[in-house]
Amino acid sequence: MATTLKIEQLNYRKNLKKILTDVSLSLSGNKIVGLLGENGAGKTTLMRLIAGLAKNARGTVTINGDSNLANRKSLISYSDPLGGIATNKRISDVKQFYSRVYPDFDEQKYTQMASFLKLDESQRLSALSKGTREKLVISLTLARQTSVYLLDEPFSGIDSMSRKKIINSIIQWKPADSLMLISDHYVSEIAPILDEIVIIKDDKVAVHKAADEIREESGQSIEDYYESLYGEADIND
Amino acid sequence: MEFDDKVPIYYQIKTAIYDQIISGQLAPGDKLPAIRQLAVSMTVNVNTVQRALSEMITEGVIISRRGRGNFVTDNAQVVEQLKQQLITSYLKQLYDRLHRLNISDEQMIAELTVYIERQGDSNGNDIED
Repeated sequence: MATTLKIEQLNYRKNLKKILTDVSLSLSGNKIVGLLGENGAGKTTLMRLIAGLAKNARGTVTINGDSNLANRKSLISYSDPLGGIATNKRISDVKQFYSRVYPDFDEQKYTQMASFLKLDESQRLSALSKGTREKLVISLTLARQTSVYLLDEPFSGIDSMSRKKIINSIIQWKPADSLMLISDHYVSEIAPILDEIVIIKDDKVAVHKAADEIREESGQSIEDYYESLYGEADIND
Repeated sequence: MEFDDKVPIYYQIKTAIYDQIISGQLAPGDKLPAIRQLAVSMTVNVNTVQRALSEMITEGVIISRRGRGNFVTDNAQVVEQLKQQLITSYLKQLYDRLHRLNISDEQMIAELTVYIERQGDSNGNDIED
């Protein structure tokens, strides 16, 4: 069944600062959606709210009509940056931990991805380069069989070879009926794999459109379109 | 595959596959790779490949056989028509651009003839090298 993620009237403040204001968004089907916006626009906050990791927001988030937090968490695989895991742990330890914590963790799928991305199971987290660490995060995230995947800036600070490999694994291993949200502030490299884009600007959803529709209507690349949206604001300021 | 991000991706996938059919890389009756495999090899979204395929199926160039996959039509007439369409559209682009530069039809033909002759020369040299 196609997944529907519905966000209604979501408001979130942190230290009296508005992070998200009246965000409503409905995403459905087996799509890959790009969540774009400047650093600090609220992309990570929105993902954490969807994943149920950030609390005290007003508004509702439902998956297939269900707003129960525990149910939602079991339907979402979020690209956790592994901040809570001791850096002296080896990749194999982290994998075992995931396998134990998540009943939907598919070891076989993980092994395929790890070998495609050339992850060395014996390496310790502290020894991983930024690119390798991100490859591990992607493998762990996609190895879970869920309805929704949230990838928070999987490409930031990563060399282009690693980026291509990660993009390739997303195409290969994203389950056919799942919905995927990828956040990024740098669009051009992932633009060809996006079905839709959502642009967050001034703590609101400024645009939600099909990527090919933007190309068809504006004759612009996704990157130019995205930049022009921010450019206009600068002129008005 | 390198994409021009100003042009809808589904359209570029369609063009790439049509090019392969017309150039003979994909022969009439050939089976296309599975959708996910096409997506991986072109580094695009599965849904976008699906959209390109459904348009090609509607246009009758690709035939979908349930449970067996997608095939290039073995109707030579359809392929010939596609080829003519493509030739006409490329010629139209060229013609329109040269026309905008106020180049007369006679001069266009003359220039094209000279150009093709030169191309022929350099191609010939390439083979000898």
